[in-house]
Amino acid sequence: MNDRISRRALLGGLAATGGLLAGCSRFDDKAPFRQLLAASDGFTLHVQRMLLANRPLVRELSLAELSKAFPMNGTTLPKGDYYKRLLDGDFRDWKLRVHGLVDRPLALSLAQLQSLPSRTQITMHACDEGWTAVGQWTGVPLAQVLSASGLRPGARYIVFHCLDKMELDGNYYYESLDLVDALHPQTILAYGMNGKPLPTGYGAPLRLRVETQIGYKNAKYVDRIEVVDRLTSFGKGRGGWWEDFDNAVWYAGQ
Amino acid sequence: MKTPPGAAGPQVDYRHPWVVRLWHWANAGAVVVLLMTGLLLFDIHPRLYWGDDGHAGMPAFLAVDAMDVTSATPRFSLQLGGHHWDVTGIIGTIVDEGDSGKYVLIANPPDDWQFGATRGWHFMFAWLLGLSLPAYALYLLVSGRLRDRLLPTRAELSARSIGHELSQHLRMRRARGEASRHYNILQKASYLSVIGVLIPLAILSGFTMSNAMTAVFPGLIALFGGHQSARSVHFMVAMLLGLFLLVHVFQVLVSGFTNLMRSMITGRFVVEPEELP
Repeated sequence: MNDRISRRALLGGLAATGGLLAGCSRFDDKAPFRQLLAASDGFTLHVQRMLLANRPLVRELSLAELSKAFPMNGTTLPKGDYYKRLLDGDFRDWKLRVHGLVDRPLALSLAQLQSLPSRTQITMHACDEGWTAVGQWTGVPLAQVLSASGLRPGARYIVFHCLDKMELDGNYYYESLDLVDALHPQTILAYGMNGKPLPTGYGAPLRLRVETQIGYKNAKYVDRIEVVDRLTSFGKGRGGWWEDFDNAVWYAGQ
Repeated sequence: MKTPPGAAGPQVDYRHPWVVRLWHWANAGAVVVLLMTGLLLFDIHPRLYWGDDGHAGMPAFLAVDAMDVTSATPRFSLQLGGHHWDVTGIIGTIVDEGDSGKYVLIANPPDDWQFGATRGWHFMFAWLLGLSLPAYALYLLVSGRLRDRLLPTRAELSARSIGHELSQHLRMRRARGEASRHYNILQKASYLSVIGVLIPLAILSGFTMSNAMTAVFPGLIALFGGHQSARSVHFMVAMLLGLFLLVHVFQVLVSGFTNLMRSMITGRFVVEPEELP
């Protein structure tokens, strides 16, 4: 995703779509409409980056405000033998791999991740569908893992490869963040929820919590973290499963 | 335009400067797109709550729900406050999104609907609405148009004057002559409400649904009382804007369509002569 807004694309596109009735999604896959969506999303990114320059923390709530039944959405149990084996072994055989544009590729077991300094936060998850829920998340700040691996020059995006294959198109779920969101102090790789080990339905063994962002950016079942300079080599090159499948916006304006 | 015999021809006012026309049409387009995309976004979770926490299984003050999502012939209900109505066959449908579950919708979206993209379009036109509003408000203030054309005069605020305007309106009598050169009190009140209350509320309640924005402006949460409260306000404001749009278009249709459209396209408004007594 090119996060540099193209002024020409924006102005030209706005003129071209003067009469466009959105929701006519057959347009969404075609130029210049997709570029126009990307330009608008890029504009949102730049404005929010300006507003969030001081890196304020997202609101944290109290234990009393925890949702009694946090909805379990998206994949609730990844299919296939591989995940079943991992689950049966309580993820003892699983390791989080960190690779790509890093100085030191890592393979961290759940126990190793849990031994790193942790952060616990009670935050409100906002799904783009419109519902919200409050959960308590415990995990290791992503910034910590990335500082352990080191970032090589040219590193711009962090890609999260997941264990769940999506029924709708047969592709594995993935998401990506730029370094600003990735290094935010509340962006954590969570292995605990509401004081207990992260349940399967919510993304065990490890899920991303990126509190400055909308729901679908919070990838569940994170298996592998890849540091890259561009997002074009994954899926349709839009930076995430929903972005590829549904033209969801990458920065997501949350 | 008919010209009364012997008259010097109709009087033409240059009613709307280009700034007004540009803002009007850009925002008319934006509001239509925002209402359409907004309804599509609402469609996937047609439930409204107060506070921060709001999801299926929690009490909603407005909800379209299926009594049994898994049934082959599900029955649908509309709930408002403590009231329930069976609306099977009128509204309600179920869409199966595979791994992502089954959703109760108000109505079926187009087959090629892309939910994620809908949100992107909504934001794009929200920028148009949100960025042009402060610019336009500044223009109205600096140009004197706010005072000259939109703010009611003391005389207009009298009960008698308001009563007169209401009765003219209800009898569908349109203004002619000198009276048609100014907005009447009902027009002033509705335009000021849209510019000064509804659009600002729509923007602020939209911001409040973003964790990032409320991190920068924590006062937004205090203002609306939580994410879901803001979403509910956003929905109600949208309904009011939709109502304004319908009434506004109706008024243009019945109050001299050609003249009013011309005035909002070229700026020129022809003052119709007074009716002879």
